[in-house]
Amino acid sequence: MSQIPNLENAPINLTEIRTRAQTELLNILRDIKGDKCLVIDPKLSGALSLLVQSSELKENGAELRHLTAEPIQTERTKVVFLVRAQPDLMRFICSTIHNDTSKGLHREYYLYFVPRRLVSCENVLAEEKVRELLNIGEFSLYMLPLDEDVLSFELDLTEKECLVEGDETAFWNIAKAIHNLEFSCGVIPNVRAKGKGAARVADILTRMQTEEPVNTSNMGIPLPEINTLVLLDREVDMITPMLTQLTYEGLIDEFLGVKNGAVELDASIMGNQQEGKKAKVPLNSSDKLFRETRDLNFEVVVQVLRQKATSMKQDYTEISTTTQTVSELKDFVKKLNSLPEMTRHINLAQHLTTFTSKSIFAERLDMEQTLVEAQSYDICFDYIEELLCKQEPLEKVLRLLILFSITNSGLPKKHFDYLRRELLISYGPEHINTLDSLEKAGLLRKQDSRGNWLTIKRALQLLVEDTDTTNPNDISYVFSGYAPLSIRLVQHAIRSGWRSLEEILKLLPGPQLETKRGGFSSIPSYDTLPGSLNSSEKLANGRRDLVLVVFVGGVTFAEISALRFLSSQEGMAYDLIIGITKVVNGRTLIETFISDWDK
Amino acid sequence: MAGVSVAAEWQLLYNRYYRKPELYQMEWKQVDLTRNKIACAPFGGPIAVIRDDAKIVQLYAESALRKLRIFTSSGRLTAETVWRNPGGRLIGMSWTDDLTLACITQDGTVYSYNIHAELLGTFSLGKECFENSVVECLFWGNGVVCITEAFEILAVPDFKMPKTVKLADCSLEELPHCMAVIEPQYTKSGDVEVLLGVGDHVLLVDEDGVQPLADGIGPLQKMVLSRKGEFVASFTHDGRLLVMSSDFSKEFIDYTCESALPPDQLAWCGSDTVLLYWDDMLLMVGPYDEPVRYIYDDPVILIPECDGVRILSNTNMEFLHRVPDSTVSIFQIGSTSPPALLYDALEHFDRRSAKAVENLRLIRTSLPEAVESCIDAAGYEFDISQQRTLLRAASYGQTFSSHFRRDSIREMCQMLRVLNDVRHVDVGIPLSLQQYKLLTPSVLINRLINAHKHLLALRISEYLGLSQEVVIMHWTCTKISASTAIPDATLLQILLDKLKICKGISYAAVAAHADKSGRRKLAAMLVEHEPRSSKQIPLLLSIGEENSALVKATESGDTDLVYLVMFHIWKKRPPLEFFSTIQARPLARDLFVKYARCYKHEFLKDFFLSTGQLQEVAYLLWKESWELAKDPRAKGSSLGPRIKLIEKASNLFAESKEHMFESKAAEEHAKLLRIQRELEVSTKQAIFLDSSVSDTIRTCIVLGNHRAANKVRAEFKVSDKRWYWLKCFALATIRDWDALEKFSKEKRPPIGYRPFVEACVDAGEKDEALKYVPKLSDPRERAEAYAKIGMAKEAADAASQSKDGELLGRLRQSFSQNAGGSSIFDTLRDRLTFQSLS
Repeated sequence: MSQIPNLENAPINLTEIRTRAQTELLNILRDIKGDKCLVIDPKLSGALSLLVQSSELKENGAELRHLTAEPIQTERTKVVFLVRAQPDLMRFICSTIHNDTSKGLHREYYLYFVPRRLVSCENVLAEEKVRELLNIGEFSLYMLPLDEDVLSFELDLTEKECLVEGDETAFWNIAKAIHNLEFSCGVIPNVRAKGKGAARVADILTRMQTEEPVNTSNMGIPLPEINTLVLLDREVDMITPMLTQLTYEGLIDEFLGVKNGAVELDASIMGNQQEGKKAKVPLNSSDKLFRETRDLNFEVVVQVLRQKATSMKQDYTEISTTTQTVSELKDFVKKLNSLPEMTRHINLAQHLTTFTSKSIFAERLDMEQTLVEAQSYDICFDYIEELLCKQEPLEKVLRLLILFSITNSGLPKKHFDYLRRELLISYGPEHINTLDSLEKAGLLRKQDSRGNWLTIKRALQLLVEDTDTTNPNDISYVFSGYAPLSIRLVQHAIRSGWRSLEEILKLLPGPQLETKRGGFSSIPSYDTLPGSLNSSEKLANGRRDLVLVVFVGGVTFAEISALRFLSSQEGMAYDLIIGITKVVNGRTLIETFISDWDK
Repeated sequence: MAGVSVAAEWQLLYNRYYRKPELYQMEWKQVDLTRNKIACAPFGGPIAVIRDDAKIVQLYAESALRKLRIFTSSGRLTAETVWRNPGGRLIGMSWTDDLTLACITQDGTVYSYNIHAELLGTFSLGKECFENSVVECLFWGNGVVCITEAFEILAVPDFKMPKTVKLADCSLEELPHCMAVIEPQYTKSGDVEVLLGVGDHVLLVDEDGVQPLADGIGPLQKMVLSRKGEFVASFTHDGRLLVMSSDFSKEFIDYTCESALPPDQLAWCGSDTVLLYWDDMLLMVGPYDEPVRYIYDDPVILIPECDGVRILSNTNMEFLHRVPDSTVSIFQIGSTSPPALLYDALEHFDRRSAKAVENLRLIRTSLPEAVESCIDAAGYEFDISQQRTLLRAASYGQTFSSHFRRDSIREMCQMLRVLNDVRHVDVGIPLSLQQYKLLTPSVLINRLINAHKHLLALRISEYLGLSQEVVIMHWTCTKISASTAIPDATLLQILLDKLKICKGISYAAVAAHADKSGRRKLAAMLVEHEPRSSKQIPLLLSIGEENSALVKATESGDTDLVYLVMFHIWKKRPPLEFFSTIQARPLARDLFVKYARCYKHEFLKDFFLSTGQLQEVAYLLWKESWELAKDPRAKGSSLGPRIKLIEKASNLFAESKEHMFESKAAEEHAKLLRIQRELEVSTKQAIFLDSSVSDTIRTCIVLGNHRAANKVRAEFKVSDKRWYWLKCFALATIRDWDALEKFSKEKRPPIGYRPFVEACVDAGEKDEALKYVPKLSDPRERAEAYAKIGMAKEAADAASQSKDGELLGRLRQSFSQNAGGSSIFDTLRDRLTFQSLS
């Protein structure tokens, strides 16, 4: 099965977006005639695998390499760099070119920035005196469909970048991506944002509309395909990603790490006998069984798989023991087609149970629950202290420590200093830098005000008792009892906007913003027909209104699942598309904060 | 039947009619074509007039100074200037495609004028011309070919890139009789080719070589190429007009004229007849039959167009062209063709005669063609009332015809309105419909703008639905240049009034023009109105408004622009000033810091120092010390520099109260490094440096150096809790179970026996673990410990002792689930053994 997902069922024309990107990329390669060495920024290779097969790149005369600190070794006389516009990557390009020059090699160098060229990068190239040797271009990949309801802005945007370094580049790129989308889908009339980055994106989006308006007047009044845009900054809810996800897809990510819609694991786990070989398992909606199970609580997934296997076994017995009509046989054979999928997921699920059945896993879930409840300070403190003493993996400890700090609105000065010192003692003094970053990001800090977590938790009903994971009636099933704060906010934003929630929003970080836009009102000669934006009218043509939910700075699979769950609810008047900068989990999110002194 | 008067003015050449309606009575007074050099631009373009200095002329009541005057095609003076250029006689002048007047003097200098008679620039054809004067030159759309007294041939292939090319030497001994040019766009090589009538043959000359053609054709006196260069018309020494393919391989016309005297002018009319002009006679020769003769008492100039020839005399301008078929079918004497009948029907209708219906009935089946012909014929008319009548006839016919493309009439009306507007004597551009289509509306608009007919250009672009941006933009820039006396604020208002007509127009471009015109303040005011930051900001920088640029860039959220401004200021201002500028702008500051972290470490330190962020400097120093360790060259070198950096960091942290923790942490780091170095020396193993305190202790224990471990523990006041966990796990790693047991008996462990149990369980030593499990004081811990080593019964006992029902339940569940969980999947696998079927 291909890693490139099928997009036919998408609520908006995502295939077009992907095709445009594919064409642009292939044109870049075709325009550079002959054989060439294509040097890819490793962070982009995932995105490219969702776009084109590597065989297709090779057909266009490209030999593939990854951009690293090591100078590129190739026989080809043309070298094409395809990199994100990050100043620190320029160093690698310079080193390749300098290396060639020192050996007296003359090559043609092409540099394509994704998604656009930046003066900060070119400045580095100029200072290194290689600017003149490069033909510079752009590959304007602002957005890429990950699945039929998920769009990725292809930004390796880290929370650290926004919260610690204050780099807003990504916000502009997100706004640009949404604005580009508006050129094909119409101006999104309602925008709701919460959090600093989210509000900034909304602000830039408004600017872009004034600077470069989406033309609404040409074809009469095109109805906007997307009705509402909800922008949510990760900083608003750092609790959710710190918790262990319990959905099938979330759990795979927690334990095995999902990269660009695929997971890589030992072939032996997948029932393949070749020892030591890696197997890549694509995970997207094209796999029907995965589509059915990805968003379920893992407990339920096990049951579902068991049922399916049992019923198939039954069918098999019937087939072999009784006489069947031809059509019954046909049905059976059809079912057999799903066997590879079944086997795949049974293998995967079984592999996951080797982690979840450990008592340490249950212990950890317990502790997460206790932390979120925020009623037993001492138990939490002791537990974390012990983890530090035992030198458990740093990101595991930090996940809990951050939960501890946020739910208590910071730690009392004494404990703050104590735990920080313990951390340095366990993991080494260089982690002073980790601590500094976390403090600047507000994830680990000194207590300075009374906590408001309890208020938030209560008001938004984040902890739900007696969650039925088999037949869930609330998003809390994704964490077996905790409803992700972020999705609760989205739920409210879609249903009634921010107004009903104002008091609570004030307790959460960052500003909130709610605006009505529309190229409609600004062109007086094209008066909006009354009721033309009325949702009921559009429901008539069989399609629900669309809401685009954008997470600025990472989202977990569990949250995506929760959104899908919301969208599947009967009372819901909207279809959802999810825009993400990247998929994160507690570990990957925290890794970006961990000291980079070693690098 | 139809208007006899119309066809009466036509002349028949073989089977085709020609006519030459008058376009204008020339508005000019006292312009004598014979006394002047004249350059007329095609497509109804302007006419440049200057007194011919090669002729001896009588001066009437006029200044002796020569004036270059520019007229419209209707003879209206639009600009004039005094010709004072040195360089000897004016050899030739001509309009280029973009309406620049190129004038070449004897010394090979090219003077370029715009249509406002303003000198745009000059360039020289090169020293060959300077030494040997230019004798003759021949222009085409965008270039020129010259021949010098030394018989060298030079060409400028494109005036936009004034570069002279020398064509191959064809060793001439006298001036050629005549010369013609094949434009680069019509040659195979893409370079200009020149035909020279030399001796009794023709030479084809280009950059690379000379090729003799048409040997023995006899001396050619005059030669002219058709518009696309496929045919050549020439006049022989014995008075014959020859029309041949331009490679002289095929002959199409050979007509013997009455006189052997070469004509003054030879020109193509369209692509099928050739005009010859002698003193008072104009002869039109076609492929068959007798030529047509026109008599002119006054001198005339022939101006070839794509579809005919304009004939300019001292008093008027005519347009000689073939009468189109549609017109012939309507107005030909005695025509009973459907279009003629339709036209006739309208006349009857206007006279309320019933014959109209009769006519219509006659042509019912061919009505659509009749309508089409009337529309088509209207397009060729210059007379507005004639256009109207023809269109009315078409419209009349259309009402009786159901299947007809309704838009045709509207489209024709639209084009004619535009044409009539520009043909008006005030504008003076007598374009025919075909010329208009060839020229394209946008070029026409550009010509109007160029002639400063902005209002008309604006109206036409609006009418045709073209972008008005070009017009408004040009108007604005012209206005700025022309309004030096108007104060900035007033001018701004005037400009804004017009600019707002056009949405999305680039205010930045206007501002850039204002800046170039020396009105920086106006530029600053204009650029304020530019909504696109990406256009606005570079301009703000170029007019020196860095601070404003920085503010706007920050607001835009486009970090690329912030960087652009930042680098600009960085280069321009001294560091301290730069620092204080960006310190005030958080986004700019953060971006600077991010960039500098990668590439300008020292400069970043200066920045933090000058802005008082000592802790940031401290972090940088600390990181530097860390990097020293990673540097492979530093292996084995002294720790001195590293510790010095860390201590410096510690001191800097200590400067502020908030960073006491960091300061102490730095101190401890320095201490740790010293101890680790000592340990490395004493153990002779380089495995300590840059590990954590815990790891150092662990390594000591693993090496069996308990004294050292204790020392490190004391130095860093490691808590009992940590100590017990550490030591238990360290001993379990080396599987020293005796030592572990000894350690458990040293004294009663202050944090209980859990670390011992866990260390053994982790190592998979059930028996060792059992030594400590019973010692766990809390029955719950005991229960869980038993559970971990799989002793269900003991676990259950302990749990029941604890009287914790919930725990008991959980344990039972986990036991059953674990056992069940794995077995479930095993059975699943077994059941799926029929996989091989698929």
